[in-house]
Amino acid sequence: VSWHDVGALDDLESQGVIVARVEGREIGVVLDRETGSVHAIRNRCPHHGAPLCKGTVRTRLEGEPGTYRMAEQRVLHCPWHGWQFDVTSGKSPDNARMRVRVYDTRIEAGRILISA
Amino acid sequence: MIDCDIHVQIGDREEFLGFVEPAQRAWFREQGPLLGMPGYTWGHPTGFMRAELELSKDGVPGANADLVRREVFDPYDVEYGLLTADDGVAVSVMPSAYRAATYARAHNDWMRGCWLDADPRFRGTILVPAQDPLAAAEEIRRVAADDRFAAVLLAGGAERPYGEPRYLPIFQAAAECGLPVAIHSGMEGLGLSQSSGGVGLPTFYIEWHTLGSAGSIMTHLVSLICHGTFERVPGLKVLMMEGGLAWLPGIMWRLDANWLGLRSEVPWIDRKPSEILREHVRFTTQPLELIDGNDELLFRMLEAVGAPEILCFSSDYPHWDFDDPHQMHKRLPAEWQDVVMHQTATELFGARLGQAVS
Repeated sequence: VSWHDVGALDDLESQGVIVARVEGREIGVVLDRETGSVHAIRNRCPHHGAPLCKGTVRTRLEGEPGTYRMAEQRVLHCPWHGWQFDVTSGKSPDNARMRVRVYDTRIEAGRILISA
Repeated sequence: MIDCDIHVQIGDREEFLGFVEPAQRAWFREQGPLLGMPGYTWGHPTGFMRAELELSKDGVPGANADLVRREVFDPYDVEYGLLTADDGVAVSVMPSAYRAATYARAHNDWMRGCWLDADPRFRGTILVPAQDPLAAAEEIRRVAADDRFAAVLLAGGAERPYGEPRYLPIFQAAAECGLPVAIHSGMEGLGLSQSSGGVGLPTFYIEWHTLGSAGSIMTHLVSLICHGTFERVPGLKVLMMEGGLAWLPGIMWRLDANWLGLRSEVPWIDRKPSEILREHVRFTTQPLELIDGNDELLFRMLEAVGAPEILCFSSDYPHWDFDDPHQMHKRLPAEWQDVVMHQTATELFGARLGQAVS
């Protein structure tokens, strides 16, 4: 495992997402604007291969029948079919067999580093 | 063997009217042979009933306990049979909720007086006016005190899908009384109800019998799951009757897949819809689809959604598309036979059949 420079934090802040190629794998760096956190996620949905990081990060909803409540969890909704993945763990909360690889991130001197 | 769908008929209308409160008796009498029930838009081309059955003195098959005993219970060695209304299922699509409540009450008392008292193998279904859910819940509580009533009976035809919150009092009352709710296809497009296909009424009975009856059952099934009815009423069991089965794997696969993408709309559904179905929903078998002798394929597909444990045998006596219990027994895979012909119904109706509840 080594750290890779995938771009400038300024670019991420203006674009919301940066897609980089690291050792043959496409990895997306997603800025969750609501929490300010940065997540590096394999840019391929395990369902149909969609560019997952072009999806939208939202708060997961829960609730009793007929009521809607915001959960703690932030999830990335795939841009194609809307399947949800936890931005931190990469796990699908709805399907135990479905997960996407996530990578540690670090910001140093205005650069984004990911561990891969 | 337990037969979960035996349609008992009103032969002697005056006898039935005797159970209607006096102030409304004349109104029901004056509505004609169907006693105010909305009649079918499509007549069966050659008759809704099996043509060879013995008729009662009123000229109606299946219209008294002797006929039903001789034609179903004795020849097929039926241990218990669930007696269902016939035209009376339309009570929930009558424009007047008041008349509907009266008819339902009379039908339940007629069921008790003319049927349940006649044979210890008979089990009743409670007819309710679904267009007035509070009145329906009250009727369930009144009638359920007699433990020979084994289920609440609703029609496939309805104003809205049954997951709508307005219908909750019905499901809550049933569960509170330990009764499953049976939803029997029929009456789609009649009275208050909508056509189940969304494109208006079909032309022929063959179209309705292929689509209408299955469509309403699919709609109620998906609605009950999506609204979280089984989360709101955890003890609830629903028995889907006579809506067909071959479509079930396809609909559940679609619903499971849609749930993954559309979950935020129904966030209270926290597991796959097909898992909810396995726990809470059962289906009667008649009319089990014929697929050119390729039963192995049909049974494999049904296994994917929980068969045989979700299936209960039903004959649909005295209707024209009756499934013969002996033929059905032979048709089923050996390891399904006892489950479908007996066990699933025993678990579903448990205490109401005088059996231990597992």
